[in-house]
Amino acid sequence: MAMPTPTLRPLSCWKSLLRHARHQKVATRSLTTYHKSVTFSKYEIPTPGASIEVTRKIKTYPPPQSPAQKFKEPLKDFTKHQISILDPTGARTHLFSKTNPEAAKVGDILLVRLKTGDPFAGVCINIRRRGVDTGILLRNELTRVGVEMWYKIYSPNVEGIEVVQRREKRARRARLTYLRKPKHDMGSVQNIVLAYQRSRGAMRGSVQEKKGGKKGKGKKK
Amino acid sequence: MAPKLPTTWGAIQLPPSFLLPDILLPLTAKRGVKYGWTTAPARGKPNRFNQKTAGLPVLEHSPAAALKRKDFTLPLRTGALAVKKGMTALYDPETGVRTPCTVLQVDRLQVVAHKTRAKHGYFAVQMGSGWKHPSNVTRPVLGHYAGAGVAPKRQLAEFRVKDERGLLSVGQSVGPEWFLEGQFVDTRSNCRGMGFAGGMKRHGFKGQPASHGNSKNHRTMGSSGPSQGAGSRVHPGKRMPGNMGGQQVTVQNVRVLKVDAEKGLIVVNGCVAGPKGCVVKVQDAIKKPWPVIPSVVEEIKDVLKETAKA
Repeated sequence: MAMPTPTLRPLSCWKSLLRHARHQKVATRSLTTYHKSVTFSKYEIPTPGASIEVTRKIKTYPPPQSPAQKFKEPLKDFTKHQISILDPTGARTHLFSKTNPEAAKVGDILLVRLKTGDPFAGVCINIRRRGVDTGILLRNELTRVGVEMWYKIYSPNVEGIEVVQRREKRARRARLTYLRKPKHDMGSVQNIVLAYQRSRGAMRGSVQEKKGGKKGKGKKK
Repeated sequence: MAPKLPTTWGAIQLPPSFLLPDILLPLTAKRGVKYGWTTAPARGKPNRFNQKTAGLPVLEHSPAAALKRKDFTLPLRTGALAVKKGMTALYDPETGVRTPCTVLQVDRLQVVAHKTRAKHGYFAVQMGSGWKHPSNVTRPVLGHYAGAGVAPKRQLAEFRVKDERGLLSVGQSVGPEWFLEGQFVDTRSNCRGMGFAGGMKRHGFKGQPASHGNSKNHRTMGSSGPSQGAGSRVHPGKRMPGNMGGQQVTVQNVRVLKVDAEKGLIVVNGCVAGPKGCVVKVQDAIKKPWPVIPSVVEEIKDVLKETAKA
């Protein structure tokens, strides 16, 4: 360590002192102690050359039991259940079933008896089959005005549906909307319905007398 | 001439250089572009006092404020994933009132993961339904299911909940009995996609006349705005032809009419967006009082009794 001995310029000793300190700092920077590396990773890095056993298989679990697999068509079941509640005897279903040759068809004159209000009769011009939502469209003429009414056949408000008169020939259309045209309009079917109701009343009387006379074609409930 | 300083100056033993304060050492560059990102002085804390914004309401742009805003509308418990099976009707045997309804089916619904405030910034429950063959699932996703201890799922969806009390344990099965008959729910599903639709179908534009000199422009949208000056541009958001449908539609306040745990059915009032077979997210309605779940009430019965006494 060279000690400067300034005599003439006392402050110049600072320069050499500081230079010396700077060099020393650079020199001490390279002096390091032993440092053990610390890994912050969760996983240990394997030493090269070591055999690694890796499980490539991922565990999978079996699917739990599913009601959806057992009941693949819940809507069908649901509709069936609803119909069984609304139509316990199955008479209404039978009346509009496609397999029943005696079923009500388009073109027939139907009478719908309601729980509340007057019964409505008219020519059936459309049967919309939608399970529990099945409906029929009846057309009649009241006070010289054409009237059409939709009735849901399974509705609790519908007490009974009767076939008043059948069409002589099976209709070759699914929907007889042409009956709305003046050329084909059947007009009022009130007379036919009244005659039917009268004969029914008479028959009912005779049935009560005879006990077990022949019942009308129409089905109740 | 300057007075002569004692020559003993240099004899002063200096402490080691690393003990010397930095200011005594010559300046070496510490800050600069090559030493770091910025050369600007380190920013201190802003002064809390005498601010220009003092007295103004606090801006609510923080995640915490967002959660607080949502606090009122976030459901307390998770929802369910279901598949729309179709529509039918229910009749009231007494009054004869017909109620149109949609039948939804829940299939192997389980909790797959949680989202927490600490880790993700919000609370949510990830639910999965259905089943997917493991060979059709990528390995990262398979690992996700394996971590939850559930079978691979066909559908995954998140249901946000208010706080950690709504986090159902992972692996827990949820059936249709999760909902009570008579309660209200919100349903979310993707509606039927219409593809690229014109203005008439998509926005109900009137179209153009069939005649009066109109030529080959009967269903086109016509003008898209005025011309000249400020009008000579098309405004952003101008309704035009484009892709229609296929987006998520929420139907709020749908009443649950029936619940069938055996068949996995939820029957809800009215219609739900989307075709048959679409995935429907069902959760407690946010615009109705939260439902009172009997099992939950059973758990906190004692607490309720104590509060009633006090």
